[in-house]
Amino acid sequence: MPAEPMTCPKCGIQMNHHADKLDSTSTAALAEPDAVNLELGGILNEVHTCPSCKTIEIRRAT
Amino acid sequence: MTTQPIFIPVILGTPRQGRMSEPVAKFVVEQVAKRDGVETELIDIRNIPLPTSDEGESIKDPKFSETMMRADALIIVVPEYNHGYPGLLKHLLDTNLKEYIHKAVGICGVSAGPFGGTRVIQSLLPVMRELGLVNIFWDGNFSNVHNIFDQSGKLLDEAYIRRLDKFLQELVWMAKVLRYGRENIASE
Ligand SMILES: Cc1cc2nc3c(=O)[nH]c(=O)nc-3n(C[C@H](O)[C@H](O)[C@H](O)COP(=O)(O)O)c2cc1C
Repeated sequence: MPAEPMTCPKCGIQMNHHADKLDSTSTAALAEPDAVNLELGGILNEVHTCPSCKTIEIRRAT
Repeated sequence: MTTQPIFIPVILGTPRQGRMSEPVAKFVVEQVAKRDGVETELIDIRNIPLPTSDEGESIKDPKFSETMMRADALIIVVPEYNHGYPGLLKHLLDTNLKEYIHKAVGICGVSAGPFGGTRVIQSLLPVMRELGLVNIFWDGNFSNVHNIFDQSGKLLDEAYIRRLDKFLQELVWMAKVLRYGRENIASE
């Protein structure tokens, strides 16, 4: 399912969600055990890029 | 498609005194700068203040992160040290993540020996992949590096210009494709 669009914090336009990145480090898992997706084996993050100003944002998968 | 120039910074990946990777990195920057629609700058690892009392994103250098955010592709100039890469280079690369994702990377290996840093390039590839960077299938191989430049850093073997041209042609193509993708193609 497509993620909720993010708004660029710098220029206010809709960002493009172009990647999901798995954080499989134990430090992340220890810091946020509830966020671990057991099937994938880590914490899933979404990566969003602003088509206008190139700002990149990463957030927990929604 | 955006008409902003493609930005490809070049990381000089060793702080060693007397490093021969420096003339290589300067030569690479010069060749990148010659291309239409491409901007570049040299990032000297010596100039990035990083503590050694911690690792990862908590010790980000804001200027380096800003440059990585703006980059469409990266070139890493890396010497081969005991068949691997300098620890300081890995320490630096590990300080960012989101800044690299879906961006192209090309690696130039530098060695005193005849193999042009092929072993260090091979050992860096899985690191690039985990950082979200997209490796191209051309490398820069600077073998017997002490014979490639004169004392003033002038290139002695013009064949490197033609080889680097092929490497850059592929890197720029990949950088453009990935920029289009980051800006326009949504993950499903
Ligand atoms: C700690 C160390 C380890 C090295 N290991 C290798 C090696 O495994 N293979 C090789 O061809 N050259 C090796 N070299 C030589 C470098 O490749 C050589 O110095 C070359 O000029 C590139 O590195 P530089 O930019 O530091 O000069 C080593 C140099 C150092 C300082």
